[in-house]
Amino acid sequence: MFKNYIVVAWRNLLKNKTFSLLNIVGLAVGLACFILISMYVMDELSYDKHNTKASRIYRVDSDIRFGGSDLRLAVCSDPMGATLKKDYPQVEQFTRIYASSGSKLLKKGTTFIEETKVAHADSTIFDVFTLPVVAGNAKTALNEPNTVVISESAAKKYFGTVDAMGKGIEVNDEKHTVYKVTAVIKDMPQNAHFNYDFLFSMDNVEYGWGNFLSHNFQTYIVLQPGADYKAFNKNFKQLIDKYILPQAKQFMQINSMEDFARTGNKLEYSLMPMLDIHLYSDRFPELGVNSSIQYVYIFSAVALFILLIACVNFMNLSTARSANRAKEVGIRKVLGTGKKSLIGQFLTESTLMVFIGLIIAIGLVWLSVGYFNSIAGKSLSIEMLLQPGYLLFLLLMPVVTGVLAGLYPAFFLSSFQPIAVLKGRTGKAFSRSNFRSALVVFQFFTSIVLIIGTIVVFRQLNYIQNAKIGFNKDQLLIVNGTWALNTKADAFRNEVGKMSGVKASSFAGYLPVSNSSRNDNTFSTEAVMNEKNGFNMQVWNVDYDYIPVMGMEVLKGRNFSKEYGSDTTAIIINEAVAKLIGMDDPVGKKLYTSTGNANEIISYTIVAVVKNFNFESLRQNIGPLAMRLGNNKWATAFKVSAGDVTALIKNIEAKWKTMAPDMPFSYQFLDDSFDNMYRAEQRIGKVALSFALLAIFIACLGLFGLAAYMAEQRTKEIGVRKVLGASVTSITTLLSKDFVKLVCIASLIAFPVAWWAMSTWLRDFAYRVNISWWVFALAGFVALLIAVLTVSSHAIKAALTNPVKSLRNE
Amino acid sequence: MIKITNLEKYYRTEEVETVALNKLSFEIKEGEFVAIMGPSGCGKSTLLNIVGLLDDADGGSFMFNGIEVAGFNERKRADLRKHNIGFVFQSFNLIDELTVFENVELPLIYTGVKAADRKTRVEEVLDKMQIMHRRNHYPQQLSGGQQQRVAVARAVVNKPKLILADEPTGNLDSSNGNEVMQLLTDLNEQGTTIIMVTHSEHDAKYSHRIIRMLDGQTVTENILV
Ligand SMILES: Nc1ncnc2c1ncn2[C@@H]1O[C@H](COP(=O)(O)OP(=O)(O)O)[C@@H](O)[C@H]1O
Ligand SMILES: [Mg+2]
Repeated sequence: MFKNYIVVAWRNLLKNKTFSLLNIVGLAVGLACFILISMYVMDELSYDKHNTKASRIYRVDSDIRFGGSDLRLAVCSDPMGATLKKDYPQVEQFTRIYASSGSKLLKKGTTFIEETKVAHADSTIFDVFTLPVVAGNAKTALNEPNTVVISESAAKKYFGTVDAMGKGIEVNDEKHTVYKVTAVIKDMPQNAHFNYDFLFSMDNVEYGWGNFLSHNFQTYIVLQPGADYKAFNKNFKQLIDKYILPQAKQFMQINSMEDFARTGNKLEYSLMPMLDIHLYSDRFPELGVNSSIQYVYIFSAVALFILLIACVNFMNLSTARSANRAKEVGIRKVLGTGKKSLIGQFLTESTLMVFIGLIIAIGLVWLSVGYFNSIAGKSLSIEMLLQPGYLLFLLLMPVVTGVLAGLYPAFFLSSFQPIAVLKGRTGKAFSRSNFRSALVVFQFFTSIVLIIGTIVVFRQLNYIQNAKIGFNKDQLLIVNGTWALNTKADAFRNEVGKMSGVKASSFAGYLPVSNSSRNDNTFSTEAVMNEKNGFNMQVWNVDYDYIPVMGMEVLKGRNFSKEYGSDTTAIIINEAVAKLIGMDDPVGKKLYTSTGNANEIISYTIVAVVKNFNFESLRQNIGPLAMRLGNNKWATAFKVSAGDVTALIKNIEAKWKTMAPDMPFSYQFLDDSFDNMYRAEQRIGKVALSFALLAIFIACLGLFGLAAYMAEQRTKEIGVRKVLGASVTSITTLLSKDFVKLVCIASLIAFPVAWWAMSTWLRDFAYRVNISWWVFALAGFVALLIAVLTVSSHAIKAALTNPVKSLRNE
Repeated sequence: MIKITNLEKYYRTEEVETVALNKLSFEIKEGEFVAIMGPSGCGKSTLLNIVGLLDDADGGSFMFNGIEVAGFNERKRADLRKHNIGFVFQSFNLIDELTVFENVELPLIYTGVKAADRKTRVEEVLDKMQIMHRRNHYPQQLSGGQQQRVAVARAVVNKPKLILADEPTGNLDSSNGNEVMQLLTDLNEQGTTIIMVTHSEHDAKYSHRIIRMLDGQTVTENILV
């Protein structure tokens, strides 16, 4: 019986080649999208799960508000981990990662290479995270100073072999420390919230250890099985009173944490489940680029919608075609075929088609996964599909989709009254089916929402790129690592400054883009700090030329100047600080801060207020920031003129090579770094665009098939109308009108939904575009245009047919 | 009104070439009622399509009201057709999705008659055809005879000078058939020229003249009146 179903199904498939092709292509593209997105979602959900203790690992996060500036930190103080372990039996182990020192220059052969995947870690990192060791002993690997654990790729890169135990790696720090490789580990997986090639011993970090008030260490703890982390969070209050308050009293007038809180300040710690970091954590500083659960939801919804569109297509085309098969059904029924076996036949046909579609879809996924990775910033591979769970899913999917997609046509066809069908009395029911209209509306609804989403994302990106950010990021070439030139840094800056095409230069240790150096400090408006006059702000050490080179605007007062002696006690604040300290004219006023030594205070005189500039992403509001003269030569900024920048860079590199032949030359353009802050949004934009196009493509396939069917159904009518004098235009309009109506209805439903969805997305940005009315008009118009183009080809063809032909078959 | 000389029409399908009309000639004067008879496949419908300006001839001359129309393009033919010619088909060819009223109204829409005028003119013909009470019904709710009366109403609503009927009684029983023949006769008496293809000698008797065809040629002409 079943075999007979398949044989008949196969014949039917071949008999209607165009129809089968339209249907299978639509399904295959839809399924391919669905599979790709499900791979993406699976990957997002898999982060950090490879750790055997994954569900028991927590990061200690800090929430600090001091003098109006809020800090949501992913780090805490250096003694926190050990203290937690000592005082609370639920804490099984702790480990810390220190990544604040940024990249390192490592010696390979005779030259230095810049490595960014570097960090210092406690030896206990192996007790907390699962880092399989290829060579060496995990227990003791990082116990001593001057030791380093490296990944297999790093070992191959530096030593040409995985067998790197005991070898030395020289780091270009002040002491030129040579680290001994004490373990080689497997490369860390891509789906982890951090990824390092080098883990250096924590003992090599130069730090004022034991300071509860500085927050610089990513600290992870493992709780005992069964321990409740939310309950554990209550312990921090006690810990603060016992350890932190006494330290704070040494340099601040503070009586109790209650007093501190009463003045609007805050110091809180909490545990973040490690498994949530990738999708829920948006703190500073994160060890890698995190994603957001929001995107997982959006993508899942898109995947489901595209799958639905493809199914809808299938139903649409199948029911449309059912008119042509009505006669077959009638005859079968007259011959005594039962309803059940008819349904079985139709479901077999649809499942067979879905199965063929699935095979093509897997081929499409295989072809397109590379492209998808490049736009989504992922490294997915088709092997992901080989997990047993997913394979089962892939096997069940054609059955479910096939049944889902075949159910309606199956019941529709099998419930025909054979006599009516044989008399040819079904035409009307088919051509005006409300159900099919609803399906077309649904497809266009989805397409229009996706079109609007895409436009809004790109408009926001465009807005960001052209927003008034308070500084001029164009034509700013940043040469990194100039501190490594030591005494030659000034000479380098001067000589490059003289090259033609370079307009101005400045040392620039701090840059107004994310993931640059930051320096957060506590200041007060009076010499004796208390919880009322104290506040936190960024303090950047800059040089005389920094503000003009960055194109920042001095609103009141003056820039740093050599005319005023060394100007070392001058400070320039941004508008946010002026507002925070509540002074209309702050120029000439003083700000105080501790030097780091107990009770030693220095004062600064405010010499200027600069216009607020965005120094973090536009997702955040502009916080308080001040600049003072300093000697930070970490990087050097050159304002260059438009023109042959490539040649200029070659000249600069040549100059660099004469001054520091063994140092890597690296540079960036500030506007590129600025764009990098929005890479996630750019990816979302591209992904949304791709899927919007595919959704529209699938919807068009459906519409195309449907229009072809409609035109065929109405051949006789068209013939009659032409005989009576209808023009080609009037017939084309007649045939397109119904579809246009459906697209209009789809637009009306799609507009509010898209508006709601995109407003929600935009809410993440402190600086954002409005969704103007023309976005909706454009999306509606595009959908309409596409629908009309798709439909009218058939309509025109039908309209041009000689009526004699269409009426002859009577 | 119609003068046809040496009219030719071929159909090419793959390798076979059918000669549908073979140097056919005849003339029809205004006000005549002509029946065309002949065995199936002899080219009657083909002839009617050409005379009705639905199709193009492959050779010969076709004068319509003194104008040579052989070689007219589609657009010109359509224009001439919708003002001058009405059609009645064997299978009625009413549009299922439109009501009786709307079906009859169609030709007026395509000739650009204003809505108010259309209403009076449609009601006038429906009255004349005695199907006014069915004006809001759909074709499938009517009997065959009623449907053909609607089709005739549609053919005459534009007041054409010429009506072409291809086996108008072919799908009807004899009493319904006679009714339709009576309608055509009435129209003819009011001055409309009628050319009708028929298989029925009985129906042919309503006409003034019978043109008998065989293999795309006229063989005889019987004058009845
Ligand atoms: N569109 C066509 N394509 C091919 N052959 C046709 C076509 N229309 C008519 N014929 C052929 O032309 C001949 C005359 O057809 P027709 O005019 O329909 O005959 P009648 O109406 O007298 O029965 C027949 O042999 C028929 O098969
Ligand atoms: Mg015929």
